[in-house]
Amino acid sequence: MEIPYIVNARKDTGLFNAKIAIWLFLASEVMLFGGFFSAYVFMRLGADYPWPERTLPVLPGLINTFVLIGSSVTVVFAWAALKLRNWRQFQIYMWITVICALIFMVLKGVEYNVKFHHQAVRLKDYTVLEGHLAYIDGTKIEKNRIKLELNPGSTITYNNLRVHDAWVEEILAEAKAAGATLKLAAEVKGAEGFSDADTIYFAKDADLTVELLDKFEKAHIKARNHNQKIRTQALRDAWKVAEKQNPNKSNWEYSDKVSIDQEAIKSKLLTDIPAATFVADKSFQISFKPRDVKEGPEQSKLRDDTVINAKLLPSPMDFHYLDAIDFQYLVMKAEKKGIKPEVAIENSWLLKNDPFAREAWAWHQANVDELKKRLIKDYGLDEKGNPNREPTHKELYRIGWKEFAKYGEETHKIKLSVTDKLKEEFMGPNYKARNPDEKESNSHDSHEEVAHGDSHDRVTFPHLSVPREQIGFASKFTPSWNTYYAIYFTITGLHGLHVVGGAIVLAYYLFFGRRMYEENPEWLCNRVEVGGLFWHFVDLIWIFVFPILYLM
Amino acid sequence: MANSVEEIQKSKKTYLLVFGALLIGTIVTVLVATVEALDIGEHGFDKWDAILGMLIATTKATLVGLIFMHLNHEKKAIYWIFISALVLCASMFAILFLAKYSPIFDSYFYL
Repeated sequence: MEIPYIVNARKDTGLFNAKIAIWLFLASEVMLFGGFFSAYVFMRLGADYPWPERTLPVLPGLINTFVLIGSSVTVVFAWAALKLRNWRQFQIYMWITVICALIFMVLKGVEYNVKFHHQAVRLKDYTVLEGHLAYIDGTKIEKNRIKLELNPGSTITYNNLRVHDAWVEEILAEAKAAGATLKLAAEVKGAEGFSDADTIYFAKDADLTVELLDKFEKAHIKARNHNQKIRTQALRDAWKVAEKQNPNKSNWEYSDKVSIDQEAIKSKLLTDIPAATFVADKSFQISFKPRDVKEGPEQSKLRDDTVINAKLLPSPMDFHYLDAIDFQYLVMKAEKKGIKPEVAIENSWLLKNDPFAREAWAWHQANVDELKKRLIKDYGLDEKGNPNREPTHKELYRIGWKEFAKYGEETHKIKLSVTDKLKEEFMGPNYKARNPDEKESNSHDSHEEVAHGDSHDRVTFPHLSVPREQIGFASKFTPSWNTYYAIYFTITGLHGLHVVGGAIVLAYYLFFGRRMYEENPEWLCNRVEVGGLFWHFVDLIWIFVFPILYLM
Repeated sequence: MANSVEEIQKSKKTYLLVFGALLIGTIVTVLVATVEALDIGEHGFDKWDAILGMLIATTKATLVGLIFMHLNHEKKAIYWIFISALVLCASMFAILFLAKYSPIFDSYFYL
């Protein structure tokens, strides 16, 4: 059977099948992206933290805009070439389109990658710091772990249902290296089968192993299931008894008289083993990623519910390069309490404890004063004597990496070549070139802190060790950092997937379209038009994404 | 829709013109957002910058829709599909006003 309107359009609607399909699809896409943009507005209006304004690098975004607009033109030219039956020209234009998609995705990938490696931390006083964690000899060693010290008598209690084997093995490896062992604190009785003869005993002082915890888990589940059956049966029996004693009554009237004789079923129950405790015999240290452990001075809890009774050692988060200091959040919180911003900033942990930050802040203050004066000079005062234009909160309270870079250039005469500076626009600050006198990290002894830059050292991005107790929240620049990054990754990620999908379809026409071109060129022409419509739509979305996420 | 050779050659010129307009629009968007002298409204980002930015973006999007996506040559059917999508999209934004005018008084939102 011939399907109508595949090649030629219906007269009344002017549409062929694929075209009406793609327009219906694009209509649903409009609503999808519309929903996300609406979410963006909602989050921005409702944000309870200083919204990161104009925070993304503009140059890569601008280039990506040009690339997408350019590819929109080439895809429509490719279609025109097909209409004119010029296969060669169609190939050239389609190649350019596909390459543009590739450039777009590469730039996007670089942008994402920089964020995934960039650390942010919000201190307890709401100062926000940004930078990179320790690098040693080119390989990255994040000195950002929670360190715990177990002493003779320290205990680890496992939740037998939720043990994460990898962490057990990690702890065992550390214990073995220190010559310590972890032994079962008390005898444990569990059931293998259902008769008393099947009861198995785990003697006190049994060594901690993954297999032992596995046996505990199996015995516990078996006992739990068995006990559940016994209790259910007992409850059913109790209901029957109550029913006989209260004839002609609805069950809700005598429900309070139904009870199980706990003593009677006790002998039938098996011992369940919900938890098992092990004791250390010698001192040793263990460490975990901050996300895996909720630490306390004497007791910490892992994400698998393992409770470790051990001493918390100093576990600072070490910034190898600090590249931004942001007091906007601190000021916002201070103003709510009626505290003057300057006072709050002066009393922040950072300015009280870090001389470099103090110097940089004084330099920044001088710049802000100059900016204020210049704005008054350029734009004047209003009739009440207030300046027409005032610095933004970001200008007042944030030292970004570009300002740090300027600070280094001004105070230490650090110079970068034009290409290095251009690279920075894409990859973020060039730490090596901007910290020329930095001492080699102490790669051989990780316990020794990296030396703080001396005053005569030319350092743009300083080292900073943040004590664990000062940290309020820490994250890479991922969706978990704040709602801005959440919606940024959602919208750009979804858009990126559309770019990839569209490019695959267009590349298919380019590489596998020749046969159809020879058999029925008008049909291929229609397909390219429809693929092109999707491509234009992807461009159209980016036209909104770019100003909203990069410039507002 | 362009079907004859001359018409296609002619529309190719239009595409290039639109391309130029889109490039200029993009550059203008970046300039008004980054150059202080071109900043409208207050210093830094404010509602006027948002309105101007969205106006330019909408103009660009309209150009892409009309010329590149041939909406200027299409018959009614597509307009119905597209306009109903836009209406639903606008209603998505209208949901925001519910939050504005009928806020939830719950301590969770004031933490």
